[in-house]
Amino acid sequence: MDKNGRAMVVGAGIAGIRAALELAETGHKVLLIDKSPHIGGILSQLDYQFPSDHCGMCRMLPMIDRDDSSQYCLRKGLFHENIEILLSTEIISIDGEPGNFSITLRRKSDWVDSQRCIGCGICVSVCPVDVSDEFNEGLSYRKAIYLPVPHAVPSPYTIDAKACTRCGACEAICPTHAISMSSQERKQFRILVVDDEMIVRSSLMEILDTEGYSAEMAESGQKALEKLAQQPYQLMLTDIKMPGMDGVELLQKAKSLYPDLPVVMMTAYATVETAVEAMKIGALEYLIKPFDTEAIIDKVFKVYEKFELVHARKEEVGAVILTGGTAFFDPKQDKNTYYYGLLPNVMTSLEFERIFSGTGPTQGNLVRLSDGKPIRKIAWLQCVGSRDIQINADFCSSVCCMFSIKEARIVKEKSNGSIETVLFYMDMRTDGKSFQRYRDQAESLHGIRFERAKVHSIAPDADAGDLMLRYTDISGKLHEETADMVVLAVGQRPSSAAKLAESVGIGLNSWGFVQTSPFSPSKTNRPGIFIGGSFSGLKDISESVIQASAAAFNASKTIQRATCNVQRAKTDAPLLQKPPRILVAVCVCGNKNPLLRGAGVCQELVKEWMSDPAVIVAEFTDQICSEQGEKSLAELVGKHKPDQVLIAACLPYVYGKRRRELSQRIGIDPLLTEVVDISSLSDSEMIRCAVGMGIEKLRRMEDLPIETLPVKQKALVVGGGIAGMTAALGIADHGFEVDLVEQGEKLGGNLLWLNSSIEGYSMQTLLEETLPKVEKHPLIHVHTQTRVVSSYGQAGDFITTIESKETGVQTIGHGVSILAVGGTEAIPTAYGYGKSSNIVTQKELEEKLRNKTLDPLKLGTVVMIQCVGSREEPRNYCSRVCCPTSLKHALYLKEQNPDIDIYVLYRDMMSCGFAEAYYTQARKSGVIFIQYDPSNKPEVKISGNEVRVIADEPIIGKKIEIAADLLVLAAGIVPNLSNSLTHAFGVSSDQDGFFQEADSKWRPTDSMTEGIFACGLAHSPRSVSESVATAEAAAQRALRILTKNQLSAGRVTAKVHHSLCSLCERCIEACPYEARMIDPEEEKVMVNPARCQGCGSCATVCPNGASYIQGFSRQQMLAVIDAAFI
Amino acid sequence: MKTEHSEASDILAPVRKMVQACIQCGTCTGSCPNAFAMDYTPRHLWRMVMMGLTDEIFNSLTFYLCSACYSCTLRCPRGLPLTEAMETLKQIAVKENRLVNKPSQLFYRNFMESVRRHGRVRETEFMTLYFMDMKHPFLPFRYMPLGLKLLRKGKLSFQLPSGGNTLDALFRKAVEAEEANP
Repeated sequence: MDKNGRAMVVGAGIAGIRAALELAETGHKVLLIDKSPHIGGILSQLDYQFPSDHCGMCRMLPMIDRDDSSQYCLRKGLFHENIEILLSTEIISIDGEPGNFSITLRRKSDWVDSQRCIGCGICVSVCPVDVSDEFNEGLSYRKAIYLPVPHAVPSPYTIDAKACTRCGACEAICPTHAISMSSQERKQFRILVVDDEMIVRSSLMEILDTEGYSAEMAESGQKALEKLAQQPYQLMLTDIKMPGMDGVELLQKAKSLYPDLPVVMMTAYATVETAVEAMKIGALEYLIKPFDTEAIIDKVFKVYEKFELVHARKEEVGAVILTGGTAFFDPKQDKNTYYYGLLPNVMTSLEFERIFSGTGPTQGNLVRLSDGKPIRKIAWLQCVGSRDIQINADFCSSVCCMFSIKEARIVKEKSNGSIETVLFYMDMRTDGKSFQRYRDQAESLHGIRFERAKVHSIAPDADAGDLMLRYTDISGKLHEETADMVVLAVGQRPSSAAKLAESVGIGLNSWGFVQTSPFSPSKTNRPGIFIGGSFSGLKDISESVIQASAAAFNASKTIQRATCNVQRAKTDAPLLQKPPRILVAVCVCGNKNPLLRGAGVCQELVKEWMSDPAVIVAEFTDQICSEQGEKSLAELVGKHKPDQVLIAACLPYVYGKRRRELSQRIGIDPLLTEVVDISSLSDSEMIRCAVGMGIEKLRRMEDLPIETLPVKQKALVVGGGIAGMTAALGIADHGFEVDLVEQGEKLGGNLLWLNSSIEGYSMQTLLEETLPKVEKHPLIHVHTQTRVVSSYGQAGDFITTIESKETGVQTIGHGVSILAVGGTEAIPTAYGYGKSSNIVTQKELEEKLRNKTLDPLKLGTVVMIQCVGSREEPRNYCSRVCCPTSLKHALYLKEQNPDIDIYVLYRDMMSCGFAEAYYTQARKSGVIFIQYDPSNKPEVKISGNEVRVIADEPIIGKKIEIAADLLVLAAGIVPNLSNSLTHAFGVSSDQDGFFQEADSKWRPTDSMTEGIFACGLAHSPRSVSESVATAEAAAQRALRILTKNQLSAGRVTAKVHHSLCSLCERCIEACPYEARMIDPEEEKVMVNPARCQGCGSCATVCPNGASYIQGFSRQQMLAVIDAAFI
Repeated sequence: MKTEHSEASDILAPVRKMVQACIQCGTCTGSCPNAFAMDYTPRHLWRMVMMGLTDEIFNSLTFYLCSACYSCTLRCPRGLPLTEAMETLKQIAVKENRLVNKPSQLFYRNFMESVRRHGRVRETEFMTLYFMDMKHPFLPFRYMPLGLKLLRKGKLSFQLPSGGNTLDALFRKAVEAEEANP
């Protein structure tokens, strides 16, 4: 493959994993790097996710060509053919241009050889160091040698170079000699200590010696220069005040001779200014006497780290995706009115996630860490570090409301409702599809209390450890409330990787988050470098995942342009039709397994296995997982030429790639290799059983041809709004034909009437730029005034009938369908809509402003009512765009005519993310916002031309009456996804009529039917740029199929013995992937191999044993079970 | 009630400008140590400023009772200068002659008078001036217990400082500046 067909993904959090998988699935090679020693990012710390309150990350695993990836828990590890993962690796520089980037990486030295480490953990038991564990947010302690994430596999122990004292205890005890301390490396780091006082010199020497550095001393500047002339040093520490040549003079002389020598000045308080001056002429740093040992170690280590990190590595890639994630606000900063860090039971939401996690410091028990007391009451405080102008956070972090509700619900569930929970909030921002119902349920079903109030401070209560919260409710009454624990819902901050982005020329916004392009939220100002996930700020998981897919899409486009076609190499090794010849290789795992140490036991086992005619050779080898072991296995295979290979070792999923490599080398099918896990078996009898089971499985392994389905490399996009056009363009730019079907006369959808985004970007420009590209694209066939009549088929092979007045009925064959039918403004049924020309919707106002039929100068008073028909049954969802739209209009009207009085009546202002700044701006410009409760809605009185709005002002506690020249209703969005359309495509819609995704977090643009995707407003209410992101994500998902000329099913799929089948259809019901159907003509149950994921649900419900899973046949499984009992 | 932003409410303009970005979260009210004694809580007051309820505002005691502890200013998530806004309301009340709270006004006046005379407050003199201005013969008796307490702790001095009129020039300048720049 061309080197430029590769992409690099920087940051292996959820977005990074997603982007990497997306590219890997379209056949690109991906280099996934992370600076931490583990993958998973912040999600490795979070066990439960909204809305299922479970994990479910594995749903992101490939479903097409699933054999390329280990079907294994993604939280634990990612194993894909096309993805190479580099951990503890950072980017130093990115040079070059799209299609041809040259990237310099540096990898922290590994003291633990992951090839040799068997994860026994003996090293941890001897490590004398205790440091706070960042995995548990500092709530527990760990050793200097540790597992960064306890559940990760293969479990790579890591040494915390900073905390490690280099005592060498772990190195000595490691049974596989996997640890090699870089003590030798440290000894190569030579430090010269210059001071005229003996006591200072010797104490410094002692500190540096213990840390493992080579330190030498000189008592004067002259002596120091002599020493420097004799041999090179990597660091010099020098005193400033010395008789004869002083420190500054020494610095000058040393720097002129050895310009690269880092010099740290040592100074007393009195001469700090001199030290600062010294830094101007080249000193690196200064240390203040008397010394703080920690500070010295820290500073020296920083210099050492640079010296040590010489393992720079160059990589050539075609595109780069930055998925640097997000950081969180530290409540200790600034005023800290909640006494975080001072009161033990005040914790951040992330810390609290660790409290209820099974791998957390309390093993998931809801007790207080400070005194072990069971928790009875928890209070959540929202907007800590968000929506706070005093700390430069004029933005809403977008995720805290939902994660706090989730945490409260989990607490309720875990405690059977016995723990009291209360959320203190300003606006409860439930701005997603199912969010509002989730919140309503939290209140009505789980009994979580929602209190609209801002707690201003927390004080210790009389009872030890309890906390007193003071706040004022909406009516102005003052309250004091105690809680056992307070959780601060901390807001987001730019991650440390933002600096990296800046250093490679990517702009940041005023809060330090990465700035992305208008209307294309994954593009940056540097072509070829894209942003995925929450790196550009303030996104929840599903938006992050969508944006990661969008970034992958753009990266793929870049690579596609640079190279052309990505071809995949598939080997089809001949399958076996003769008696089995099995090779058994048992790993003794560095003699860790005491059972296998005795030669007698081994011989006995070998003898027994060899007595089976199917086994041609059985051998014990050491560490098959290591390079050495792999070699010896290859030798064995070369010598005996077996047809099947059984490896008894550990962690079968890790071997996926290696098994394939091995099979390729020997020339057998990977299915004819098997790995059994014997790492946790405690007696030789069990090992005998396990190996016996493996032998039985291989003995009866059948011929499993991979079924392939030809792909029609063409796409159908339904809907010609911005989402549909973006998706169509994206697919066409990848070189595939697209049929774009639009019901209306013109392409453009909602862009035809929208003026500008809240940020002021013109929608017209966007439309003008996009339209010609679509209309003139040679691969896009636009069908306007056309509707879809029916569609049937499966991923890769759909046939759709479309109908238009002009051309009549037409049939299109295509491989994927993207539904981008959009949405429209709901028609209000309340507040006198339709009874007066002075009552309009937001859309009508936008149109009036656009065609200038409304003169802002003639308006005296404007009232806007939010949530008209939204966020209450039957349309109990937030439409997400209405609050920003009202703000946009209010600001526009105020700008045109500052004398207009504008009143916005709202329930919760949903100015999420950076839109919050416009909310502040609107308040500042004098727009009056009045909160109303759905149980007490504003009233509208119409008499003649006059419209009067009467509402309760909750703060003043009085009714106010406003005579409005214009009443604007924010009616919300309803999807255009009609029942006939969902029926035609066989997809489902949710209860509000939006597209029902396969999984709202992990497969947000997929339908349950592979090959059909959705984006834009038909998917969920969203802004234009968010719609573009879903369109790009859907296009990327579609490309997984389109880039292949045939789809290969997994090896392990379901089959039917038709002679045994009684057509009871239970299997059809049981199949979660809709892979089964009845063929009415043949009267047979058919399995769609591309949809089937080999889960086995059908086989278990089948009363006749007619349904079975290939590679898990009845005879084979029974033989395996027998082997286990013999 | 109809909200008003007419000319009458314009005297509130400087205060409105200060608190316009308020999101009614109530941090100020929660933080206020004197809120219990106020007829309108601080948040309520800001809302009245926004709504232009001039009469109600100047008939209330709220802003007189602000002891300028700055708790609200410290904590306001919008970073509004709330203590300053209270202060501004006091100034407007004086300027517009809309003082309803006579004791408060006399208290401030006499306090500043004492400061003007000596550059600091002389408690005894200040008390005398205040009681005389209040023209309430029994008022001193009400303060008796407090007075005795202060006396016992040596907080009251009967001596007037020597010198006198130390801040006269400063006060004159302030008046001039105010007149030049109304």
